[in-house]
Amino acid sequence: MKEIMCIIRLNKVSQTKEALYEAGFPAVTFTKVFGRGKKSIDQAIAETYIHAGKKVPASYDESVSEKGRLIPKRLITLMVSDDKVKTVIDTVLAINSTGSPGDGKIFVLPVKEAYRVRDGKSGMEIL
Amino acid sequence: MYMIRSIIRPEKVNGVLAALLEAGFPQITKMDVFGRGKQKGIRVGSVEYDELPKEMLMITVNDDDKDEVIKIIMDNSRTGDKGTFGDGKIFVTEVEEVYTVSSGKQGL
Repeated sequence: MKEIMCIIRLNKVSQTKEALYEAGFPAVTFTKVFGRGKKSIDQAIAETYIHAGKKVPASYDESVSEKGRLIPKRLITLMVSDDKVKTVIDTVLAINSTGSPGDGKIFVLPVKEAYRVRDGKSGMEIL
Repeated sequence: MYMIRSIIRPEKVNGVLAALLEAGFPQITKMDVFGRGKQKGIRVGSVEYDELPKEMLMITVNDDDKDEVIKIIMDNSRTGDKGTFGDGKIFVTEVEEVYTVSSGKQGL
């Protein structure tokens, strides 16, 4: 069993939710998180564009906010069996890849044990 | 790769974030959590607080950087010289795979 943690943009949340549901993964946990990535970002560039009423071009996306500032994101957590990991990653990538920095990250972690609270059963059958 | 999840005092967050940025670890995720520890929360007179507000910081790093990051978080989230109850915990979990969504590439 694997735990998949995806950090994604807020405006892709409902599409991702829908896509995961259709791909057969209705059991998902969403968490509101704040974070920053490896790129350092310059807020001034974004503001000049926003004041001029223009859309920030993709090439400037990486320099859209100030260095060290935390940006709101959504964290999706789901538990899947080992053979389903690829499907989930492909589903999330298909919806969330815009090609610009800030799209997020996907982490895959091993899970040793899992239990269902209702009847105390453990193992793969609870998924 | 390792995922380091630390639960620390909310007032220490800014210090830790600044220290990590300076040491070259800008990547981090923060979330609000509530919890209690071994001391069963705090008792003030007859009132018991067993859900104390904390912040959870989540950072994934390569194997070589693990100890450095843990040290930075530890040094910056301690209260006083020796530390105090309620300063928090740090959990380290192995991460098998990492993908960057924008490019779909594997690895940090």
